[in-house]
Amino acid sequence: MIEHFKTLLRGEVGAVSLEKAGLRWFAIYCLAIVVGSSVYGATIGLWRAPLQSAFTAIKFPLLIFLTCIGNGAVNGMLAQLFGSGLSFKQTALAILMSFAIAAVILGALSPVTLFVLYNAPPLGSANAIVGHSMVLLTHVFAVAFAGILANRRLLDLLRRMTGRDATARAVLFSWLAGNLFLGAQLAWNLRPFIGSPGLTVQFLRDDPLRGNFYEAVWRAFQHLFF
Amino acid sequence: MPDAENPVSLLENLLKHPGRVVHELHQTRAPILAGRLLIFGIMGIAIYGTVVGAQSGGAQMWIAPAKLGVGTLLAVLICLPSLYIFTCLGGIDAQLRSVCGALFAAVCLSSILLIGFAPVAWIFSQSTDSIAFMGALHLLFWVIGIRFGLRFIDAAARFLGARSKGHFRIWSVIFVLVCFQMTTTLRPIIGPSKTFLPTEKKFFLAHWFETIKAPNQEKK
Repeated sequence: MIEHFKTLLRGEVGAVSLEKAGLRWFAIYCLAIVVGSSVYGATIGLWRAPLQSAFTAIKFPLLIFLTCIGNGAVNGMLAQLFGSGLSFKQTALAILMSFAIAAVILGALSPVTLFVLYNAPPLGSANAIVGHSMVLLTHVFAVAFAGILANRRLLDLLRRMTGRDATARAVLFSWLAGNLFLGAQLAWNLRPFIGSPGLTVQFLRDDPLRGNFYEAVWRAFQHLFF
Repeated sequence: MPDAENPVSLLENLLKHPGRVVHELHQTRAPILAGRLLIFGIMGIAIYGTVVGAQSGGAQMWIAPAKLGVGTLLAVLICLPSLYIFTCLGGIDAQLRSVCGALFAAVCLSSILLIGFAPVAWIFSQSTDSIAFMGALHLLFWVIGIRFGLRFIDAAARFLGARSKGHFRIWSVIFVLVCFQMTTTLRPIIGPSKTFLPTEKKFFLAHWFETIKAPNQEKK
């Protein structure tokens, strides 16, 4: 299993591994997502409170799985529409694989984020807002970095699978667009992850399904410019 | 590598023929060699630490070496998992022992260079009361040392068949930032203090700017 993950990280997974995709690999990728993203998630919530850390350790892998499930059908359809020749099963495995890579990278970065957390001004201090911003920015960079690398590996795999660069790019960008669109909304529904200094520690906010991410962005935009 | 058991030969090879050390780190006896390199590296940093502590004298003569040794070890432990993953991302089929060995050798190499700079640092530490100046000087020497250390990791990566340098550059930035922050986490290292560790948490840039603005402390 470790050898397979090393091959994944090197970007050397062959098309064959998706062609004979078995349940074993689904289980292994899911396990990697659960372990990597839970460990990393715990470091996200720890700044606010240990309980928030436990909540975020549960919610981070949940967010990934809900995004995969929610977009599973449409991603499979888009892959076929763009002529990639990928089946629904292969599509799901390829997407799980990229999330597994991101989770492994995030898991490896968690000692660094934990160190940042140790050095961030704590919640009760006068500089709590600086601490919150420091933690937030660190996680934004870490998640963006892991996401970019995981998608580069996915693009390499798609190129090998489809044999055409244009098709591979079209499939990847369509998946990315869908996953980002749904992922942002699900992250909004599953908030809080870090936990605002002024709000109580909760698994979900009192009204998790009220409003949506894009309305909130639009309102923020209106407050800023109108 | 001829006579890997001999510490002097090992350190000489690290300076003159780093390729031999890289090759040896990929052999079966790599864990023993890696362990030695880490011990020499931490010892070297601690020796340089006595020069750092000489600025304030007194208890700082043992506090500074202890903090620098522990800080280096912590930075290595914090960054080791990401180096292993970044090594794989760089296209290398590396073993954990080779990655550990390369990192420990880099730390050892930088500590040898720091020992080389120690007499220069000591002369300045006895001539000035400025913590900010000495901090900048130690930092400059450390940056020179770690630059060669990171170059060693880069050479090891090429030896092991790395396809891309970008991942190592990003990891190098992470390692340097962790080390910079470690100097603030374990402060004060140069100047004296009533407490062993700080009571307030700070970002390293904020701490550095405050040190620059602070008035000079009287030498004991």
